[in-house]
Amino acid sequence: MKKKFLYILAIALLGSYSCQKSQLNQISPTSFNADGSAFANQARINSQVLGLYSNLRSGQLYGGRFEIYNDVKADNWLNSTANSITAYQTWTETPTSVSSEVLNLWAQCYTTINNANLFIDGMASVPTSVVSSTLNAQYVAEAKFVRALAYFALVDMYCVPYSSGSSPGVPLRLTGLSTFGNYALAPSSVTACYAQIISDLNAAESGLPLTQADAASNVDRATKNAAIAFKTRIYLAEGAYASVITEANKIVSATAPFNAAASGGVNYALQANIANVFKSPYTTTESIFSVPFNTQETPGTQNQIATYFNNIGATEYYLNQSSQLFTDPLWGATDARRGFITSNSKGKSLTKWSAPSPYTDWVCTMRYSEVLLNLAEARSQVNGPTDLQAIALLNAVRQRSDPAFVYVTATQAQILEERNIEFLGEGLRWFDLMRTSSTIPAKSTVPAIPAGGYGTAYIWPMSGNEQQYNTLIGR
Amino acid sequence: MKKLLLFSSMWVLLVLAHNSYAQTHTVTGTVTEKDDGSPLPGVSVMVQGTKTGVQTDPQGRYSIKADNGQILVFTSVGFITKTMPVSGTKMDAVLESTQTQLADVMVVGYGTQSRRENVGSVAQIKGSDIAETPVQNFEQALAGKAPGVQITVPNSVLNTPPVFHIRGTNSINLSSQPLIVVDGVASYTGDFSGGESGGNALSNINPDDIESIDILKDATATAIYGSRGAAGVVLITTKKGKKGNALVTLDAWTGATSATRLPKVLNADQYIALKNEAIVNGGGNLTTTSVNSSNDAAGNPISTDWEKLLYQKGISYSTTASVQGGDDKTTYYASTNWTKQKGVLKSFEFDSKSMLFNIDHKVNNAVMYGAKLSYQNNQNLAAISSGSLSGEAYGTTGLGRLAVLLPPNLAPYNNDGTYNLNPNTPSQIGTGADKGIAISYPNPIPSLDLDRYNNEINHIASSVYLQLKPLPWITFKTVYGIDYLFTTNDSFNDPVQNYTPSTGANSASATDTYTAYKHFTWDNTLQFDKSFGKHSLSLLLGNSQEGNNTNGFGLSRSVLNDPSFNVIQAGFVNVNTSNTAGNLSTTYLVSFFGRLSYNFGEKYFLQGILRRDGASQFGADKKYGIFPGIGGGWEVTKEPFWHNMGADKLFSSFKLKASWGKTGNNAGLGAYQAYSLLSAGGLYNSQGTILPSQTGNPGLSWETTTKSDAGIDFGFLNDRITAGVDVYYNNTTGLILGYPEPPSAGLASSPSVNIGSMWNKGIEFNINADIVRTSSFHWSGNFNISYNQNKITSLLPGLNSTTYSTSGLEIANVNQVGYPIGNLYIVKSAGIDPANGRRIFVNGKGQQVEYTFTGTQHYFYMDGTNAPAINQAADATNYTNSVPKVVGGMTNTFRFKNFDLNVLLTYQLGFSVYYGTLATLSDQRFWNNSTNLLNHWTTAGQTAAYPRVVFGDNVSNGTSFPTDFNTFNGNFVKLKSVNLGYTIPGTVLSKWGIRSIRVYVTGTNLAIFTKYPGPDPEVGSNGTANSGGGIDRNTAGNGMTITGGVALKF
Repeated sequence: MKKKFLYILAIALLGSYSCQKSQLNQISPTSFNADGSAFANQARINSQVLGLYSNLRSGQLYGGRFEIYNDVKADNWLNSTANSITAYQTWTETPTSVSSEVLNLWAQCYTTINNANLFIDGMASVPTSVVSSTLNAQYVAEAKFVRALAYFALVDMYCVPYSSGSSPGVPLRLTGLSTFGNYALAPSSVTACYAQIISDLNAAESGLPLTQADAASNVDRATKNAAIAFKTRIYLAEGAYASVITEANKIVSATAPFNAAASGGVNYALQANIANVFKSPYTTTESIFSVPFNTQETPGTQNQIATYFNNIGATEYYLNQSSQLFTDPLWGATDARRGFITSNSKGKSLTKWSAPSPYTDWVCTMRYSEVLLNLAEARSQVNGPTDLQAIALLNAVRQRSDPAFVYVTATQAQILEERNIEFLGEGLRWFDLMRTSSTIPAKSTVPAIPAGGYGTAYIWPMSGNEQQYNTLIGR
Repeated sequence: MKKLLLFSSMWVLLVLAHNSYAQTHTVTGTVTEKDDGSPLPGVSVMVQGTKTGVQTDPQGRYSIKADNGQILVFTSVGFITKTMPVSGTKMDAVLESTQTQLADVMVVGYGTQSRRENVGSVAQIKGSDIAETPVQNFEQALAGKAPGVQITVPNSVLNTPPVFHIRGTNSINLSSQPLIVVDGVASYTGDFSGGESGGNALSNINPDDIESIDILKDATATAIYGSRGAAGVVLITTKKGKKGNALVTLDAWTGATSATRLPKVLNADQYIALKNEAIVNGGGNLTTTSVNSSNDAAGNPISTDWEKLLYQKGISYSTTASVQGGDDKTTYYASTNWTKQKGVLKSFEFDSKSMLFNIDHKVNNAVMYGAKLSYQNNQNLAAISSGSLSGEAYGTTGLGRLAVLLPPNLAPYNNDGTYNLNPNTPSQIGTGADKGIAISYPNPIPSLDLDRYNNEINHIASSVYLQLKPLPWITFKTVYGIDYLFTTNDSFNDPVQNYTPSTGANSASATDTYTAYKHFTWDNTLQFDKSFGKHSLSLLLGNSQEGNNTNGFGLSRSVLNDPSFNVIQAGFVNVNTSNTAGNLSTTYLVSFFGRLSYNFGEKYFLQGILRRDGASQFGADKKYGIFPGIGGGWEVTKEPFWHNMGADKLFSSFKLKASWGKTGNNAGLGAYQAYSLLSAGGLYNSQGTILPSQTGNPGLSWETTTKSDAGIDFGFLNDRITAGVDVYYNNTTGLILGYPEPPSAGLASSPSVNIGSMWNKGIEFNINADIVRTSSFHWSGNFNISYNQNKITSLLPGLNSTTYSTSGLEIANVNQVGYPIGNLYIVKSAGIDPANGRRIFVNGKGQQVEYTFTGTQHYFYMDGTNAPAINQAADATNYTNSVPKVVGGMTNTFRFKNFDLNVLLTYQLGFSVYYGTLATLSDQRFWNNSTNLLNHWTTAGQTAAYPRVVFGDNVSNGTSFPTDFNTFNGNFVKLKSVNLGYTIPGTVLSKWGIRSIRVYVTGTNLAIFTKYPGPDPEVGSNGTANSGGGIDRNTAGNGMTITGGVALKF
C-alpha cells in the first residue's frame, strides 16, 4: 500500500515538472522583447527617444553624409580622392542604384522611420501611470519630428522637385514593422510625401515642449520652435510662401534684431560672430537643431564632415574656386564668413568643422539664419523684392558678417546667393538648386546637369535593393 | 551378410572403446581471453548436467574430474558461454568477450534494441576499433569506419573538430553536424576555443573509454530525437564495469608527428633571381628597387628555410589507466587519461587530463541505480595563428602561410642575435639588403617566443539514474545528466613587435575571456515489453527536458606599463570589455515521445515513433513540432517459400527493411533568433539609448528533413559474410535563410525565415567478412562505400544563387539552385600566350582575354583591343562540386598467432579542391614562390607553365580571384592507419600477476594516393561551414604520425 502510494506520488511529481511551459518563452537578459516591456517605464521610453535621435545622427544621415551629399552634388567642391565610398559618384552626378551612398542613405532613413513608427505605435498603449499624457504627447511629437527629418532627407535626394508633385515619390511607411512579413509597398506621390512631413511637423509643434531640459537638449532634441523652423524649410520647398510667412512669424520678430522672444520658447537669435556657432559647446541660440558628437560618440570612419571639407583629415574635397560663389564680386573680402576658408598647397578648404580626430564637432542641421532667409524669400515672392522686412532680414544675415554691405532689394537670386555664402558646407546648396529646379552648374570635368525628372542624372536613382525586393515599387 | 557382420563388429569395437574411456579422470587446462590471450581467473567450469564445478585460479588454470563424453561448460560474466566435450586430460578454453558480439545489441534513442528488431539504418563502431590512436577526439578516428559517414579533418591544428557529415550536408546556415549524445545526455559539440588552437568539446571523451558508437541515420532511428535528428545522431556509450576481480589496464603510447608533402619553395638565390627579373620586367630600376642577398654572422649568404623554422616534429604521449570489477550487486569502471601532444606547427600543443567513473548498483530485481562522473581539463595551446582555422585564411600571421610566403633572403635573426624586425615598424620583418621593397608581413619568431593564444577547457559530464521494474515487463527509468563546459582564453601580444620606435610607446595587449556553457538533460521513460505467443510488443513512452545556459565575459587590456609584464593582471594603460556583449543566453527544450515496436515471430517487424518537441528558440506561432517515423522489416529467411526456393542454402540471413519519417534541425539556431528585440544602442550626448536590434519571425522553426530509406541486410555462410545495402532520399525543406525585405521596411535585421530547400540522396554498401579463420590465423575485413548527391532546390524568392567567401575575402564557393551546396565558383583560363607571356583568362561570354600588370589598360582581347576587366560576378562559372560524391573505407584485420595487424584505408572521390595556397605560392609581390615558377615565360614562342613575371602582379596567377589553373581534382585514398601489435601470452606472464602485455606500433596518415598537388586534399579553410568546402587557402595539412605503445592488463 505504502509502495503504491509512493509510486503515485512519484508520477504526480514527474507530471508536474515534465514541462516548464514558461521556459519556452525566454527573454534575452540583454534585450527587451518588442512587446510591451520596452515601454514599461519612463526612463526606458526616454532612452528609446534618444535612440531615435541617434538614428538621425548616424554618420550615414544627418551626422555627416546627408550634408556632404547636398554640398558635393552641387557646384562648390572639387573631388580629390576619386573614392566611390566618399561620394565620388554623387560629385560626378553618376551614382547608380547600387552606389553605396544611394543604398546607405535610403536604408538609414527608413531604419529611422521604422524605429519612429514602432515607437509611435508602442506609445499608443502606454498608460498614464507610466508617463503622463503630456509627456506621452511630447515623446510622440519628438518621434514625429525625427520621422519628418528622415522623410525630408528622402525627398531631398531621391525625389523630383515638389513642382512635379504628382510624380512618384518614396514609399510612405507610417506603421511600425517588427517581424517578418510581406512589406511590398508602392511609392506615394511627391505631394503626399511633403504633406506627410508637414503633418508630422504640425503634430510635433503641438506636442513638443517650448524648451527641453537645458541648453544642450534645446539643440540636440526637438522643441516646439524647432518644429516650426523646419516647417519654413518644407513650405519653402513646396513654394507655399504664405505658409512660410505664417510659420516664420511665430518665431521671427517683426523687426530687427530678429529673435523668437515672442514665441515663449527657445529665444533664437543670430550670434554676433558666426564662428561661435561652430565652437564648443555648439549650443548657441542660433542653433535650432544639431546632432551631438564627443570623444565617445563619433561619426564613424569616412562619415566625418571635417575629413571631407576641412584639410585636417583625408581632405576628400577642396573648394571649387571657379564656382559662382567664389567668383561672386559682391562677397566682400572682409566678410567674416571668409574666415572659414583656409588653404594649403593643394587648394582651399572650409574650417567650419575644425575639431581633429575623432572629429567631435556637432553637425548643424538648421540655424536661425536659415529661418530668416526662408522668411525673406517667401516675403520677396509674395510682396516682391522691395518688401522691407525681406530686405531687413537679408541685411541681418549679411551685415552680421559684413557690416558695411547693404542690400537695397531682396530678389530671390540675391537671397539664394546669400544662402550660398552663409551655408557653405552645411548641406543646403543642392536643396536650393533642386527646389528651384535650377541647373547644377558644371565643375571641373563634370558637365552641367539641367533639371530633369526621375531617371535623369539630376536626382539620385532609387535604392537598387528596394527595386529588387519591393515588388510594388514600380519604377 | 558380410556387411552386417562387419558393421556389428565395428559397433562392438566402438562400444568397447567407449567403455574403455568412460572412466572419471582429471581434466586440467587454462582459460584465456580471445582478444589478447590473457588468462581469465574466476571462470566457472561445470560438468554439464552435474553439480561438479570449479573456478579458474588467478592464472586462469582449472582442474576438474570428468568423464570422456561429458561436456564442460565455461561461463564468466562478460563472456560468451563455451561448451566443450571432454576429450583427453588437457583442455584449454578460449572465451570470447560479449563485447565482440555486441553487434547483437544496438543502442538506440532512449534504450537498446536487438539487431534483429531494428528496422532502421544504424552503423555501429566498437570502442576497441578506435582506441590506441593518436587523436585528440574520437571523431577523428571514425573516418572510413561506417557507410554514410564522412569525416574530414580540415587541418593540422590539434583538437580541431572534424567535419562530420552523415548522409551529406543537410543545411546551409544551421549546423549540419550530427547530434552527439553521450550516455544519454546531449553533449556540446564543435569548437569552444577562442584561441588559435582547436577546442573540440568532444575531446573530453577518451577513445579508450568508449564501449560503442552507434550512428543513427534514417528516420526510424532519428525521429525519436525530433527537432535535432536531421543531421543524424551519434550515441556514445562509455564502458561500464564487469563482475569479477578488479581488472587493471594500462595503455601508454608515445609518438611523433611530422608535416608531409609541404610545398617546395625557392631558395634565396632562386628567389633573388626571379624577383629581380620581375622588377626589371615591370620597368623597375634595380638600383632603387631590388631584392638582395646579405650575409649571416658566419659570412655565408642567408638562405632561410622558413618551413623548417615554423614546422616541427611534434612529440606526443598518452597514458590511460583503468580499473573495473564488481560483484553481483555493484559494478564499477574507473579510468584516467593523461595526454600531451605537440603539433606539426611550432607552439601548438594539446594537453589533456581526464577521468571517468561509472558505477551501477542493483538493490534487488526491482530497483537499480547508478552514476557517471567524468571530468576533463584540456589545454589547447598556441602562440600564433596557424592561418588554418575558419576565418584565418588571409591572416598575415598565419604560420601555414608565412612558412611559404616569407622571403628566403631574409633571416629570422639579425647577426647580433636580435630579432630581424623592421626598425621603423617592428610588427613587420626587417627587409635586409632589399631596396625599395615594403614587406607588410611579420617575423613570426618573436611571436612564437613571446605571444600566447591559449585556451583551457574544463568539461564535466555526469549523470545519475534510477531504474524501477515494478513488474518484469515494466521498466521505469529516470536519468538526470549535466554537460558543463567552461572555456577560458588567454592571449598576449608582445611589446617587441607592438612597438612604435618614434614614440617609444608599446601597444602590447592581453585579452582574457571566460564563458560557461551549462547543459542539463532530464529524461523519464516508461518501457513495456510483452510477448503474446508469436506477437512481441515493446512500447516506450518518455518525457525529456533539456536546457542550455551560456554566460561569458572578458577583458582586453593594452599598452603595458612595463615591457616585462605578460599577463592580463599586470599593469596596462587601457581597459576594455571583450566578448561580453550579448554573451548570455538560455534555451529550453521539452519533449514527449513514444516508440512502439512490434514483431511477429521475428519475421515481420514494425516500428512507429512519434515525438513532440517544444523549444524556446522557436517562434511564438511554431513552438511545437511533431516528428513521426515509421519503419518495417521482413526477415525473409523465416518464410517457407525461401526454403522451398533453396535460397536458404545461399543466404544465412536476408532482411528487407524500409522506413519513412520527419526530423528537424535546430542546431545553431540562436537562442533569441525568433524574437523581435530592442537593445541598448550607443550613447546620445552621454545618455543611454534603446533601439530595435533584431527583427523576429514568430513563424521561425526547425528545418525539416523528410527521410525515406530502404535497405537489405544479408549474410552468407552462416553469417561469416554479412553485407548491407541502403538507399535513401532525404528532402530538407524550410532551410533557414535571412530574408531580404525591402530596405524601406526599415527592419532592424533581416528576419530568419524557413524558406530554402535541398535534397540528398544516395546509396550505401557495407560488407564484413571473416575471410580466414583458423586457430593460428584470422583475417577479417570491412569495406564500405557511400555515394551521396546533394542538390539545392530553392533559395529565396527571386534569388537563384548566393556566394560564400573564405575568411570574408575571397569568394570561391557558390550555392546555386539546381546544383550541390558549396560548388566552386571559378574563373576559367586558357594557358599562357606564347607570343607575349600573358595569362589568358576566359570571360563570362567565353571570350579569351589576356592580362598584363603593366600599364593602365590591363586586359586585352586576343586581337589586341581593350577588354573590360575580369570580374568574378560576371565571369566566374559554377565550376565543380567541392563536396565528395563518394566516401568510404576499408579495414583489414589480421591475427597470426600472437601478432595482430590492422590496416585502414579511407578514400573520398568525385570532388575538386581550390588550391588557393598555390595562388599565394605564385603571387608576384615580394612573396616567395613555388619552385614551379621556375618554369615561367621568358622569350617569345615559349610554352611555359607560368606567365612572364612582373613584380607586383597579383592577378595573373590567381590571387585576385579563384581560377581553374589553381583548382584540382581532390580524389584521394589515404593509408589512414596501420596498427601492428604483438601480444605476449598471458601464460608466460602470469607468475608476475600480469594477465597480458600487448606492444604495438601505429602509423597514421602514412601515405596519400592523390593527384592533388597540395599537401593534403582533405583540408579545408572554412572548418565545418556548410557552404565553404573544398578550399585549401594557406592551410597547414595533416601530419603523419608514428606511435609506439604498450597495453598491460593485470
